[in-house]
Amino acid sequence: MDNKSSTPRITCAYLSQYVGKLVTVVGKVVQLRGEEATIDADGTIHAFLNREAHLSANNGVQLIGKVNPDLSIKVLSSVDLGQGVDYNLANAVVEVTHRYKPLFVYEN
Amino acid sequence: MAGYGGYGGGDGGGFMSGSQQGGSQAGGSKYADESLRPVTIKQLLDWEETFPGAELAIDGHPVTQVTIVGQVRSVKPQPTNITYRIDDGTGAIDVKKWVDSEAQGGEDGGSGAGAIAPDAFVRVWGRLKILGGKKHISANFIRQIEDFNEVNYHLLEATYVHLFFTKGAPGSGGAKQEGGGGDNMFVDQGYGAGGGDVAMGGAGPGGGNSAMQARLATCSRNAQIMCNFINNSPGGTEGVNLHVIAQGTRMSVRDITNAADELLGQGIIYTTQDDETWAILDY
Repeated sequence: MDNKSSTPRITCAYLSQYVGKLVTVVGKVVQLRGEEATIDADGTIHAFLNREAHLSANNGVQLIGKVNPDLSIKVLSSVDLGQGVDYNLANAVVEVTHRYKPLFVYEN
Repeated sequence: MAGYGGYGGGDGGGFMSGSQQGGSQAGGSKYADESLRPVTIKQLLDWEETFPGAELAIDGHPVTQVTIVGQVRSVKPQPTNITYRIDDGTGAIDVKKWVDSEAQGGEDGGSGAGAIAPDAFVRVWGRLKILGGKKHISANFIRQIEDFNEVNYHLLEATYVHLFFTKGAPGSGGAKQEGGGGDNMFVDQGYGAGGGDVAMGGAGPGGGNSAMQARLATCSRNAQIMCNFINNSPGGTEGVNLHVIAQGTRMSVRDITNAADELLGQGIIYTTQDDETWAILDY
């Protein structure tokens, strides 16, 4: 029952490699329009939110969701991270997790 | 795991000799072998118990206590413990926090659950336990994370410790003056890579050296030592022979051959007069 699946951390640049997969994105909320949000995660990502989402513009957010073929994200879970998120750090972590995949990602 | 068998099980005190290279001198003292290692959940799930009761070892090094950071997916209060399912994006694992029946019920009863709600980020300290083939962490302590950056910090720290054990301490040993550079490389990649693919070796004509250094940072310690030695030798395009390297670095011929294969694979060096003479491939 060990849950051997990961939700890789990605930025905008990695979207195309993860179509149809679950991913984690940390970014800044640029714009909110109803159930649609624009997130900056080293590039602009469009996200379709679920009902439970409570985001605020200019705050950090962690999204977990599925990458659509048009490279938007269908959000399954979102957490407002407030102010003070170090986005450079978050982007660096994305690079590190891709560089040392055996520590972070189950491949398949 | 792979490195585990190499330590042999015969030494006294029931502890592996391997743990003593971590700097402790006390033979057989369990207390001296205590460690607290930051890990990802995937590292814990990937570990296979080689025999029942085997000590947890990651990257060939024994680990007693671990710390993880993740998000709470579910909370199940039970009579004797509270079971949290923790997910850090690399995997998910159950964490059991035993309820202290001595303490007054109000604080840690199932109802309060320490006020840790689903979706909260938490840091956990504890030990990996296996029960009926299923892994869980028996937590000494769980606390909610206030600053989200701690989540990212933890992932970098786990990577750092992994690299420390697999590639050696940054700038340690006979790594000559470039050793310090090795230290910086990790940080550089971490922070610089946000902008593009420093890490992939964006080998522009101008950035040849730094691109090489970035690639070198992914190599084993032997490869780094060898590369630095060649770099500091007057061989130039003639290259430096295997035996000169062996003498200069005090590495075995076999280690050098392996390191050379690695460096050749990375395109950092090339062979010159014969198969046992190498020079740095400069842009």
